[in-house]
Amino acid sequence: MALLPSGLLNSAFKMLRRNLHPCLTACLTACLVAAFLLTSCGKAPSPSAVDYKIAYEPVNGGSTINAMIGEPSGLIPMIAGESAASAIASSIFNSLLKYDRNLELEGELAKSWQISPDHRTITFYLKPKMKWADGEPLTSADVLFTWKLVTDENTRTPYGADYKLVIRAETPDALTFRVTYQEPYAPALDTWAGLQILPKHLLEGQDINTTPFARNPVGSSYYQLEQWRNGERISLVKNPLSTQGEARIERLVSRFIPDAASQFLELMADNIDSMNLNPIQFARIFPSRPDLAERIGLYKELGNNYTYLGFNLRHKPFDDIRVRQAINYAVNKQELIDGVLLGLGEPVSSPYKPGTRWTNPELSPYPYDPQKALALLKEAGFADHDGDGILDRNGKPLAFEILTNQNKQREMTAVLVQRRLKEIGIDVKIRVLEWASFIGRFIKTGEFDSVLLGWSLSLDPDQYGIWHSSQQAPGQFNFIGYNNPQVDKLLEQGRLELNSDKRAKIYHEFSRILLEDSPIVYLYAGYGLPAIHKRIKGIDDPAPPAGIGHNSHEWFIPEPLRRNEISAR
Amino acid sequence: MIKYLLKRLFWMIPLMIGISLISFFIMHLAPGDITASEASFNPKASEESRQKLRELYNLDKPVIVQYGLWLKRMGTLDFGTSFASHQRPVFWQKTDDQGNVSKGLIQEALPITLLINVLSLVMIIAIALPLGVISALTRNQLPDRAITLFVFIGFAIPGFWLALMLMYWTGVANDWLPISGLHSLGHEHMGPVAQILDTLKHLILPVFISALSGLAGISLFVRNGMLDVLHQDYITTARAKGLSEHSVVYGHALRNALLPLITIFGLSIPGLIGGSVIAESIFAIPGMGKLFYDAVLMRDFPVIMGILTIGSALTLLGNLLADLAYAWADPRVRRGVMR
Repeated sequence: MALLPSGLLNSAFKMLRRNLHPCLTACLTACLVAAFLLTSCGKAPSPSAVDYKIAYEPVNGGSTINAMIGEPSGLIPMIAGESAASAIASSIFNSLLKYDRNLELEGELAKSWQISPDHRTITFYLKPKMKWADGEPLTSADVLFTWKLVTDENTRTPYGADYKLVIRAETPDALTFRVTYQEPYAPALDTWAGLQILPKHLLEGQDINTTPFARNPVGSSYYQLEQWRNGERISLVKNPLSTQGEARIERLVSRFIPDAASQFLELMADNIDSMNLNPIQFARIFPSRPDLAERIGLYKELGNNYTYLGFNLRHKPFDDIRVRQAINYAVNKQELIDGVLLGLGEPVSSPYKPGTRWTNPELSPYPYDPQKALALLKEAGFADHDGDGILDRNGKPLAFEILTNQNKQREMTAVLVQRRLKEIGIDVKIRVLEWASFIGRFIKTGEFDSVLLGWSLSLDPDQYGIWHSSQQAPGQFNFIGYNNPQVDKLLEQGRLELNSDKRAKIYHEFSRILLEDSPIVYLYAGYGLPAIHKRIKGIDDPAPPAGIGHNSHEWFIPEPLRRNEISAR
Repeated sequence: MIKYLLKRLFWMIPLMIGISLISFFIMHLAPGDITASEASFNPKASEESRQKLRELYNLDKPVIVQYGLWLKRMGTLDFGTSFASHQRPVFWQKTDDQGNVSKGLIQEALPITLLINVLSLVMIIAIALPLGVISALTRNQLPDRAITLFVFIGFAIPGFWLALMLMYWTGVANDWLPISGLHSLGHEHMGPVAQILDTLKHLILPVFISALSGLAGISLFVRNGMLDVLHQDYITTARAKGLSEHSVVYGHALRNALLPLITIFGLSIPGLIGGSVIAESIFAIPGMGKLFYDAVLMRDFPVIMGILTIGSALTLLGNLLADLAYAWADPRVRRGVMR
C-alpha cells in the first residue's frame, strides 16, 4: 500500500467520500483486504501434497468453475449484446469465420471463402456434414436465416447496420452461402466472424426478441447448455456433435459473483478455478502469498481497449494542434501505467492491438517532455501574463474540464493528468458522471471540453465510425469533431481495399497522421489479468495476441488434480 | 372499525397514483434510456438501430403518453416485461402457447430477499429484546454500558468490511461456511434435508451481517421504552401490591414498553422487500437490491416501476397494519379509532 503514490490514494479516498459507488467501495474493499492479507501471517490451507509442475498427458473429463461479474440476459448474442452473453455464447455457437491465435481470420463453420474479382461478392463454402447439437443438419439455409434475422426490422439488435450493406444473399446449394455488396466492403469478413449462426429449424416463425430459445439454446460449438440457475450460475457440458471437434474438459461452470473481493476469496478457498484479477490483486496480494502462487497461475494478455483523453475539437483552444500536442507532451504515460495499473499495461500509439499487422511499428507515443510542451504553448500564444501560475492568452486562462464516468481507473487517471498539467500551468477540473447522464447531457450535445474514455482496440482496422468527418451527428461516435480530409480519404480507401497488405499500408498511414494530429492523447492499454488454477493444463503462456482463452478447448485437467466434485461449493 | 378500514383503503388509491406518477417522471427525467448503456457505446451499433429500439420500446413517445400506456397496463395488474433481460416478465411468470414458462424477475428475487430479511428480523428481535431489558434493568451499570458499546460497534462497523473479514475467516482460513452464493454446486443431487441445511449454511453470514446493524436501534428502543415505563405510577402500584419483581418487569412493564415497537415493525415491512445492494453483491445473492440497482443503471423502466409500485403498495399496507395492530394492542388508541 505504501508503494502507491500518496496523492493518488488521497484522491481515491476523496472520490470515495463524494460518491459511494459500489465500484469504489470495491476498490476500498480490495485495499482493506489487501492490508488484512498482508498482515495476517498467511495460513496455508494444508500443505499441498500435489505437485502441479509434473507434466501430464492430455486427457478428457473434469470440470472447471469460473467466476463472472455479471449474468447474461440471454444467450442469443445479437440480441443480448453484453460481454457476459458473448463470453458464454461463444462456447455454444459458431460463426462462419473466426480469429486465430495471431488474430488472423480463419474458417470456423466455413471451410474456405472466395472473394470475387470485383471485390463485391464473397462466397463461403461450409464444412460438410455439420450438425446442430440436436442432430439436425447445419446448412447454408441456417446462415441465410441468421442473416435475415439480424437485418430484420423487428429484431431488437443494435448490430444490424453492417449486415444491411449486403444487397443480395443467396444459397446456391446446402454448403454454399454467397453475399453481394453494393460496393467492396473490406470489414465484411470481420462482420462474418462476429455473427453467430442460429438454427433455422428451431427459430423459424418465432419472435427472436422473446423466444425461450435465448435461455435454452441449441448450438453447434464445443459445448451445450446443461443448466441455468438464474442469478447463480450457468453450466455448460460437452456437445458430442460439435462441429469443431471435441473439447477436453467435460463441464464448464460459470458462477455469477458481482464483487471482485468475494471472487478472490472463492479463488483462495479453491472454490473456483479462474477469475480476472485487478492490478492490486495481481501485483500486491499475490506476491505476498507464496502458497497461492503454488496453486494458481497468473497470466497477462493484451486487453481489448485503450484509455484516452479526447479533446472537443470544436472548442477553443483545442482547435490549435500545438495545444493538443503540448498536452500530449505534458502527460507522463508511464506514470499513469505505474500508478493506475501498477505497471500492468502498455502505452499505445495507434488504435490497434500492439503486435498485430495493423499496428504501425514505426510509431511511438509522445515522450514526457514538459519543456517542449511549454515551448509549443508559447508558440501558440500562451504565457503567464498575470503571474497567477496559470497560462493565459488574450486575458483568458488556459483552463478546461475533464469529464469521465464512474470508473475507478479513469478517475485516478484524471487526477494524475490534472497534476501534470498543473505543473506546466494548465488549470484542469475533473467532473465524474454516471454513464447515462454523461452520454445524454454531454456527449450527445457536444458540450464538453475533454473526455477521458476508452475505445476498443478493434480487430478489424476500419475506424470509419470514430474518425470520419461525416460521423459527427448526435449519437454518432466522432463526437470530438475530428475533421481531416486526408484521414477521411484514407478511411474511405481502407473500406474498399480487400488486399491485407495494401490495407495495412493505408491504416499505418492513418495511424501516423492521427498520432501527429493528436486529437486524442493515447494514455494506456491495460492488460487482462486472468488467474487460473494450475490443475488446468495446456494453457499457452505467454498469451498470444488472441488472448489466453484462444485454445481453451485444448485445456485439460489430469485426473489426480481434479477437485472432489461433491464437496465443491 | 370497518368504515375506518374502508376509508383508509380508499385513500391508498390516490396515494398510489401520486407515488407512481412521481416515480415515473423522476425516472424518465434522468438522462438516458436502455439504448444508452455502456455496452451499447460501440461503433458497431449504429444510431439508426438505437432509434429503432427506442421506437420498439415506445421510448420515442412523450413521457405523458408512456405514463398512460403504463397506467393502462397496470389497470390489469400487468407489470410488463423487462427491457434488459430478454423480455422476462417483471413480476410473475408467464407461460407462452408452447408451454414454456418464463419466470418473473421479482418472483425470483423477492423470496430470497424476504427470507434473509425475515430471518434477520427474527434474529434482531431475539437478541435485541433481552439486551434492551437487561440494559434498562442495570441502567448505567457495567452490563448496560457493555451492551450499549457492543450494539454501537455493530452499528458503526462497515457491513461490507466485516462481511469480507468473516468470509475470509470462516471460508478461507477455516473450512466452516461457504463464502458466497445461495446453493452449493451439487445442490440438486442432495436429499431434501441436506438441501435445507445447505441453504441455511449459505444464509448464516448474510443474515448475521444484515442483523448486526439493526441491533443497536431496536435494543436502545427497548431500553428507553422500559426505562420510561419503569418510572410510571402503575409500576409503583404493582410493586406496592407486592408483586414479584419478575412479574412487575415482564408482566407489566415489558408489555407496555413494546407498544411503540409495533410501529417500527409496521414501518419495516417495506424494508423487508428491499435488499441491500452491497451485501447482495458481496455474497453473490440474486436479491431485490441488486435487481433494482441494475435496473436503474440500465434504465430498465418496467423493472424500476414494478419494484417501486410494489414497494410503495407495501409501505402503505405496512402503515395500515401498524395502525391496526396498535389499535388492537392499545385500548386507548382503539377507542380513539372507533369514534
